[in-house]
Amino acid sequence: MRTYILRRLLQIVPTVLGITFVVFLMMRSVPGDPVVSLLGDAYTEEDAIKARAEFGLDKPIVVQYVIWLGKLVRGDWGASILTGRPVLQDVMIRLPVTLELIMLSMAVALVIAIPAGIIGALRQNTWADYSATTVAMIGVSIPEFFIGVLLLLVFSIGLGGFLPSSGWVYLPGTCPTMVCGSSLWGNVTHVLMPAFALGVGRAALLTRLLRASMLEVIRTEYVTTARAKGLAERPVVFKHALKNALIPTVTVMGLQVGFLIGGAIVVETLFAMPGLGTFGIDAIIARDYQQVQGFALITALAFVVINLLVDLTYTFLDPRIRYS
Amino acid sequence: MGEAELRSVDRVGWVGGRARRSESPFAEAVHRLRKSTTALIGVGIVVLLVLVAIFADALAPQSPIASNQAQTFQRPSWEHPLGTDQLGRDMLSRIIYGTRISLAVGVSSVLLALFVGVPFGMIAGFYGGRIDTGIMRVMDLILAFPIYLLAIILMVMFTPTAGLIGTMKVTGAIAIVRIPIYARLVRGSVLSIKEKEFIEACRALGVRDYSILFRHVLPNCLAPIIVTTTLGIATSIIVEATLSFLGLGTQPPTPSWGWDLKANIAFIQANAWLSLFPGLAIFVTVLGFNLFGDGLRDALDPRLK
Repeated sequence: MRTYILRRLLQIVPTVLGITFVVFLMMRSVPGDPVVSLLGDAYTEEDAIKARAEFGLDKPIVVQYVIWLGKLVRGDWGASILTGRPVLQDVMIRLPVTLELIMLSMAVALVIAIPAGIIGALRQNTWADYSATTVAMIGVSIPEFFIGVLLLLVFSIGLGGFLPSSGWVYLPGTCPTMVCGSSLWGNVTHVLMPAFALGVGRAALLTRLLRASMLEVIRTEYVTTARAKGLAERPVVFKHALKNALIPTVTVMGLQVGFLIGGAIVVETLFAMPGLGTFGIDAIIARDYQQVQGFALITALAFVVINLLVDLTYTFLDPRIRYS
Repeated sequence: MGEAELRSVDRVGWVGGRARRSESPFAEAVHRLRKSTTALIGVGIVVLLVLVAIFADALAPQSPIASNQAQTFQRPSWEHPLGTDQLGRDMLSRIIYGTRISLAVGVSSVLLALFVGVPFGMIAGFYGGRIDTGIMRVMDLILAFPIYLLAIILMVMFTPTAGLIGTMKVTGAIAIVRIPIYARLVRGSVLSIKEKEFIEACRALGVRDYSILFRHVLPNCLAPIIVTTTLGIATSIIVEATLSFLGLGTQPPTPSWGWDLKANIAFIQANAWLSLFPGLAIFVTVLGFNLFGDGLRDALDPRLK
């Protein structure tokens, strides 16, 4: 097991290198460069050449990438071309926002999907099943930003500003600098709508998936055996059936991480949250190469680490799955 | 990616339902599809939307891009059933024309991904070895990206523009992101089909490789491809709307639902309907393709219920 984890951790390296290198190449082929927006109205060809030399943008792309990588292994994520701020510092300020958003939306998804999926499967073809599947069908068909708009309409505008429509208040203890405001209540009111906007779609998807795999599992012989030996319905469902039915659900949850990161960009934009999503999209649009690299790096890291965690969850759900 | 797509990606050798009696598998699938009310609702929505897109010129009461400073922010009325936006443009007309962008991008991006991804998947699965490793490494690299990150950077690379060219750029970006889904799906099916006896028989008869691939292997992995495509259109429409929402889709003045929704959020306090209608349009379209795709999956693979 330990060697397996170690090997998987080593595999992270090529994946992260691959993703960051491709992003590097792609960003460099985007028309326009950050020097143009940096110089603004005072742009002259001479200054531009000087500025490009200063940031090393005149070197060949591969050399630039190697320089970036060389700094990275020494813990230096570079500094933003436009603001001059260290990228790592910016990423660390924004990470807790997105992390909280994604974790809470995943929690929303599970809290809705597990009971709904189980009820749908156990009461197949009853009104409970029909309503669960209908709501799930609607849920998978609404984009996150539209759910967000509907929530805004009800809770921010309809209820006279009951929940704030934008901005962020940090959870006490998560604020990485001295300047940000933090309060528990403030945090809850700011995170609720974004977390639901992002979580409802995932909930719908997982409900459909869990219902389908529960239906498959409860028809297997070992579940019949468990029932035949007089086991109560509760342990049959939760200990025997659910654990096996969760395996495909967990796989998809892992695959959904990519979507959650994208969804975070959308939801953070809609609710004007200072998270990694808005950081990334702003950096990409401003062509701030260093910030984009930082964003790609943290995204790639999150992606591979979560996929590793998903694979390790299998061993808990099904002890027959062993990694060596 | 919808979960049905994921399932079919996972499902190696997912061959369509076997025919009972003398009915062809196709006729049987159509029969099953017609029995499902939800699938028929989906088909109905899709057909209706296609008609709206084709006859947009005749259906739209006004031009979707003609602004009218005297009639900004009109509430829904007889003259403007869905009201007007900040430039006085008729919202109903914008929604009707938006159908074109949404459907065009949704359908053509998936077809483009299909025409590139399927041959790659077939070649990788059929020949195996180095060819397989080479193709699948590239596909895995694309899949290793969170798809929105890739789509966003691709769109920034292509620089979003308006009109037909702008729509083609969005189509291309979404297609690139979706190619590996088909490649993996088809490769999986081919791997199991090529071990079947009838393929061995073809080889023994001296049938050429491409003829084996296209006439014997491909028809046997069509069912998952069809289902993935229908559900994929739904996903692509959401991705298009999301890119537009982020300002990276087809640019104004070309009417696009995602863009309209985003642009009107600024006025949501007083004019909520302006964001509601484009959102509803996206929702209904995606729902239509999802219902249709679900029905198709049940019809083509009776084992999945």
